[in-house]
Amino acid sequence: CSDDFLEVEPTGKSTEAFYYSSESEAYAALVAVYDIVGFVSSGYIDKLPALNSASDDHYAGGGSSGDIAAFQAWNDYSKLTPATGPQEDLWSKGFQGVYRANILLSKLPGVPMSEEKKVRFAAEAQALRAYFYFDLIRFFRSIPKFDQPINFEDVNDVEQVSRESIYSFIEEDLTAAIDKLPATVPVSTEGGRMTKGAARAILGQVYLNQKKFALAAEQFAIVNGTVPGGKSEEGGYELLENFGDLFVVGNEYNSESIFEIGHTNTSNGVWDCIACTEGNVMNILVGPRDYSVIDESAGAPDFISGYSFNPVTESLASAFVQNGNYDPRYKYSISNVDSLAEAGVVNYSKGYDNTGYFLKKFAGLKEDKSTGGGNYELNFPQNTYELRLADTYLLEAEAIVSGNLDNQSRAQLLLDAVRARVGLASIPVNIDNILHERRVELAGEGKRWFDLIRNGRAASALADFGFVAGKNEFLPIPLLELNNTKIKQDPNY
Amino acid sequence: QSTITGTVMDEETAQPIPGVNVLIKGTSKGTVTDIDGSFTLEAASDQILIFSFIGYMSQEVPVGNQTTFNISLGQDVETLDEVVVVGYGVQKKKEVTGAITSVGAEDLESLPINNVGQALQGRTSGLTIAANSGQPGSAATIRVRGITSLNNNDPLWVVDGVVVDNGGIGYLNQSDIESIEVLKDAASQAIYGARAAAGVVLVTTKKGKKGGLKVNYSGYYGTSAPARKLDLLNATEYATLRNEASLAAGKGIVYDNPSEFGKGTDWQDAIFNNHAKRQNHEVSLSGGNDVSTFYLSFGYLNQEGIVVSDISEYERYNIRLNSTHNVAKWLKVGQNLGYSREKSIGLGNTNSEFGGPLSSAINLDPLTPVVVKDDSLMNTAPYTNPGVVRDANGYPYGISSEVGQEMTNPVAYMQTRLGNYGWSDNIVGNVFAQAEPIEGLILRSTLGAKLSFWGDESFTPIYFLNSSTNTSQTSFNRGTNRKLDWNLENTVSYSKSINDHKFTVLLGQGAYMDNRSKGVNLTVFNIPVDNFDDASLNFDVPVRSTAPGGYENIPHAVSSIFGRVNYSFKEKYLFTATVRRDGSSRFSDKNKYGYFPSGSIGWVTSEEDFWPENDIVNFLKIRGSYGIVGNDNIGDFAYLLTISPGRNYTFGNSGAYSNGWSPDAPPNRNLKWEETSQANIGFEATVLQDLTVTFDWYKKVTTGILQYPRIPAYYGTVGNTAKNAADMENMGLELELGYRKQLGEFNLSVNGNVSYLKNKVTYLNDGVAYLDGGETFQSSSYPITRTAVGQPVNSFYGFKTLGIFQNQEEIDNYRNEEGKLIQPNAKPGDFKWQDRDGNGEINEKDRDFIGSPIPDWSYGLTLSLEYKNFDFMVFGQGVAGNEIFQGLRRLDIIKANYQTSALGRWTGEGTSNDYPRLVDEDPNRNFTNPSDFYLEKGDYFRIKTMQLGYSLPSALISKAGMTNARVYIMAENLFTFTKYSGYDPEIGGGVMSIDRGVYPQARSFMVGLSVGF
Repeated sequence: CSDDFLEVEPTGKSTEAFYYSSESEAYAALVAVYDIVGFVSSGYIDKLPALNSASDDHYAGGGSSGDIAAFQAWNDYSKLTPATGPQEDLWSKGFQGVYRANILLSKLPGVPMSEEKKVRFAAEAQALRAYFYFDLIRFFRSIPKFDQPINFEDVNDVEQVSRESIYSFIEEDLTAAIDKLPATVPVSTEGGRMTKGAARAILGQVYLNQKKFALAAEQFAIVNGTVPGGKSEEGGYELLENFGDLFVVGNEYNSESIFEIGHTNTSNGVWDCIACTEGNVMNILVGPRDYSVIDESAGAPDFISGYSFNPVTESLASAFVQNGNYDPRYKYSISNVDSLAEAGVVNYSKGYDNTGYFLKKFAGLKEDKSTGGGNYELNFPQNTYELRLADTYLLEAEAIVSGNLDNQSRAQLLLDAVRARVGLASIPVNIDNILHERRVELAGEGKRWFDLIRNGRAASALADFGFVAGKNEFLPIPLLELNNTKIKQDPNY
Repeated sequence: QSTITGTVMDEETAQPIPGVNVLIKGTSKGTVTDIDGSFTLEAASDQILIFSFIGYMSQEVPVGNQTTFNISLGQDVETLDEVVVVGYGVQKKKEVTGAITSVGAEDLESLPINNVGQALQGRTSGLTIAANSGQPGSAATIRVRGITSLNNNDPLWVVDGVVVDNGGIGYLNQSDIESIEVLKDAASQAIYGARAAAGVVLVTTKKGKKGGLKVNYSGYYGTSAPARKLDLLNATEYATLRNEASLAAGKGIVYDNPSEFGKGTDWQDAIFNNHAKRQNHEVSLSGGNDVSTFYLSFGYLNQEGIVVSDISEYERYNIRLNSTHNVAKWLKVGQNLGYSREKSIGLGNTNSEFGGPLSSAINLDPLTPVVVKDDSLMNTAPYTNPGVVRDANGYPYGISSEVGQEMTNPVAYMQTRLGNYGWSDNIVGNVFAQAEPIEGLILRSTLGAKLSFWGDESFTPIYFLNSSTNTSQTSFNRGTNRKLDWNLENTVSYSKSINDHKFTVLLGQGAYMDNRSKGVNLTVFNIPVDNFDDASLNFDVPVRSTAPGGYENIPHAVSSIFGRVNYSFKEKYLFTATVRRDGSSRFSDKNKYGYFPSGSIGWVTSEEDFWPENDIVNFLKIRGSYGIVGNDNIGDFAYLLTISPGRNYTFGNSGAYSNGWSPDAPPNRNLKWEETSQANIGFEATVLQDLTVTFDWYKKVTTGILQYPRIPAYYGTVGNTAKNAADMENMGLELELGYRKQLGEFNLSVNGNVSYLKNKVTYLNDGVAYLDGGETFQSSSYPITRTAVGQPVNSFYGFKTLGIFQNQEEIDNYRNEEGKLIQPNAKPGDFKWQDRDGNGEINEKDRDFIGSPIPDWSYGLTLSLEYKNFDFMVFGQGVAGNEIFQGLRRLDIIKANYQTSALGRWTGEGTSNDYPRLVDEDPNRNFTNPSDFYLEKGDYFRIKTMQLGYSLPSALISKAGMTNARVYIMAENLFTFTKYSGYDPEIGGGVMSIDRGVYPQARSFMVGLSVGF
């Protein structure tokens, strides 16, 4: 036989020698970077429910104390060890994103395509690289920096760098990207792609995290616009009139959305590869277990049966009650399934750490159940917000108040605008009130843990969850990353 | 001294035999018979004559006063002239120098064997075999001399010279099999080179013989039933224990009056069929003349499963035509062709803790009725849900309010799968031409192919089995697949005897192409029908309600040249050397070609002059071999940096998503095949004429086992880089014994074999002591197996229990050396865990190796008796030395039913020291920790087949033109002797011996008939 007989070519995939040779291939490489924005691991580790579990607003929940150990470990900090926790997936997620951005950035100069798109693709890759690094630097005390793909031969020689150098790398990337990114994108086809506003809002957080309050406020102010409550100039952002509409499928990329994580029910995700689905896995995770409506007439929410993760703590539920009145956002955020069951309206099974309160924002609804291929559990289409205007309003207010900046009155206007949207009266702007407002406005949206850490309040708020100050501000470096490498464990673990 | 004369004839044919040695015992005096079989010799009356000839049984005759001798020699078909199929040819058994075990047609006739893999179980040494499932038609897990690799361990199957893909052997009809040879040592395997490491199984199908037309029918009919039921709690016991567990967790009583529930539902009764039918029929025609011979057969097999038979059944049709034709004196052509059609109806999940009828029957509470007939109940939730499954009278099937998730009413579940099936059509065959232009020189070309079509059809109605297992849309799926594998081989061999020297040289070349499968499938949703029969793809459904899929596999090409030399001197000193060069498409240019050499020697000691004539050891051959084989069954393109799609994301609000592409794991351009070297030493002997003994010792070392060692995740690619990283060893002993004796009118034969095996992982990569992961079990707190250096592959790994805390004092006294309280939160009735590292707390470091799923011993025994026209056969097989993980109860469903062993739980001081207290949430992890509590001895011995037959007298049947007629009754899996508490201790699969509710082997009783014309 001739040697040709032994030559087989890959089908349905390509090889490095042939790829990255056209605009459409460059675009596919860009999509692969965005893919990581919607990352969920094969073990259901999604950044959002993980962060919820870490906060004082939710328990991990699930079927038993061993259900999704990573969530349980970040809920009960005593169980959080280098071997157990969400760090493995969150670490992988971040560095996969960085790698894919680096691959695209290194290949782009050689791709024959329009210069204009090349510039935009590069800006998006840079903004996304910064976005991934910003998560990494908040999750881990010390990480390595990759500004380009490295040779695999050198992989074991990589070392961690200082937090400052990571932060300045992130700032450089975002600053460069903001200049070149579009201010807006056509919602129907490009909703979800990086814009100036998204990059600015991330940069604002990056500054805020470093207590560079003035710089943070400056970026947020451009995003939020000159008139709090009005339409912003650069991105055209505006609060939605009705708070509840934010979480209704069909309202994707609305005027309040700054950076949104896209999901769809058309990718037909199946159990064989949970990580491959483009559906929203959070929807099935937080639904009440074995839920069924007994009395159809009582108007109980039409949840699908889920896995009862992220049950809402009594503490968050009660935060919605101020002076005996329920915050108007309560009914869109939380569902007291227990009281419905007591009333004989619904049936459900009490999962682990059950409180009876479920995260209504994201509990999957029957009407959103996928009717296409794949397992419906993995194909819910609801998008989630990485950043929305109410969030950046409050972040700007926080920057102004925390930094004791000149324009305190603007901070008040920003806080008032968020409250006015749901018909609440003004309260004085101060850090406690801002954090309370963030807690109820953004309940279940993965913000609370960052808020507590950023403001040094985690130790007190999470005392009951075993949080150790000076240690649990960061996750341990995944144990397996230390094998045969120069990576050093966080000294506190 | 007087002159004696005589003739020697073949006992059967009455033809004279030339060349027979006639020797006067105790002297070197003798002669040889001439062309007419005659001899003349001088001998004294007190001397003894020994008549011997290769292929015949020796005879000793005292001279006495006789002067003329008419001797009839019987052929020694059992040993000496028996030929064994080896790679690319046959060899006299006497001259074989490798370790090869054969199973012949006579061992398999009229046995209830549905899958060829089963035929080897208990009949060959050196094999570990376990059925994957009792589902009719399912395959068995077959391991030749242990576990060779951490990757593929399925042997290479070669049917009439056609390499058929691993595991795809179910198409063969066992009645068509002439012989099966298992090549066990590297010397015999080496001729199959880079694909032989996991062992090679050669299957030869039946051929026609010269002579008149022979017509045979054989068949049996019978019924199957489960051999064993699990002991589960009845309703009263269940309610009592549930109360206890709830109370212990401080939650109060659940059921006020447990005894009011009585016995409740026996879910096992609901799923088991005690009268599952099975039948098998085969008709064959064979015959031939000097020009052509042929063998033609038709087979039909049908078997119902014993679990929910409506959705568990297997059916197979077979047709075979084998023929050879002598075109000229020196040229022969022929073909072997088999066609099979299989239909299998499977019940879905088996040996899975995540649902399926068996798992559900074990875990569902006995309080829920199979069918709800209470009006008040059936008009309330959950029975008001659309899609609730009903029986023929319109009554809804019971839905448990206690046990949910994947555990559903198995009878209702069955209704949702009615009609679904999988099918396959296989056409496997070859054509060959063989020329012998001069004597001893044989040129042969063979073109073989396996053409397979397979697929499945399934309809899912709208159903509501419980609140988490339901669907609100119908769907209908059809998948079809096709595969064409082929191979072309050309060989030339030359055999020559010069005086006492005999040699054969074989040279060959082969090209092989496999894995060329492609398929498409389509699912349509929301078609307006409610059952399988009405479902069709002709319904007009919007594209949004369809889910199409398809694939094609990467072809695997192997190009080979090979050679073998056999040399023997006086059939006493035997020598074989083999080398094969394989080129595989799975490697880069750097390592495309591999060389696989082997050598073996044999010494027929009993042929030596110095070997004393004796009646004790009649024949002895000592042999030894060493060789290297490979395994290239390790995936494609691991040597290339590939860029793959599927890294998708959705933009905008149209619902569409975009395709993203990114690099896969970094490649390893140095990747090569796994290499297995094996040394084998053995002997074969015939003792006291009637007893044959075969013994082998081997040591098998696999190096460079392909692994995907974890690369640092910060590198950022998906997946890991392939590397030849791990090493493993297998050491074993094998003994086969055969005994055959005629005692008056009794014919007795006993065959037995026993194998010992020790597997050990010796290396896993630098700095790697064990592999991450392992087999998981439900919500068990850790994986239950671990592959570690120094241990057998996938050993069970978990905590060791040190009994149960009988009182608080024992808990308070359980401290480490520093006096630290080890289990401060334990309560009396909880397990006392061993604190291995003595650090004063129970954590993952306290786990240890607690057992191996691989049996140390496998054995089999066949006893046959014939008396006049009656025959009786019993065949048993067993294993010993392994542990089974008994994981039949779902841990995370706290209300799941218990086995009756739970009645022996700890309920107070002194009540139990091995079954802990029951408490909801299980704070001490008594049940959720993987531990020795779950392990049971896997030893078993099974009376696999028992058969009693009667052959009708030939005087009677010859009038009807029949040559033979035999009726028999037969039992399969009559008894299983085991201490294992689950359904069946025989549990195959990638990792054996993990019982998640395995589909048990049925016990069958059958009557059969075979007639020949």
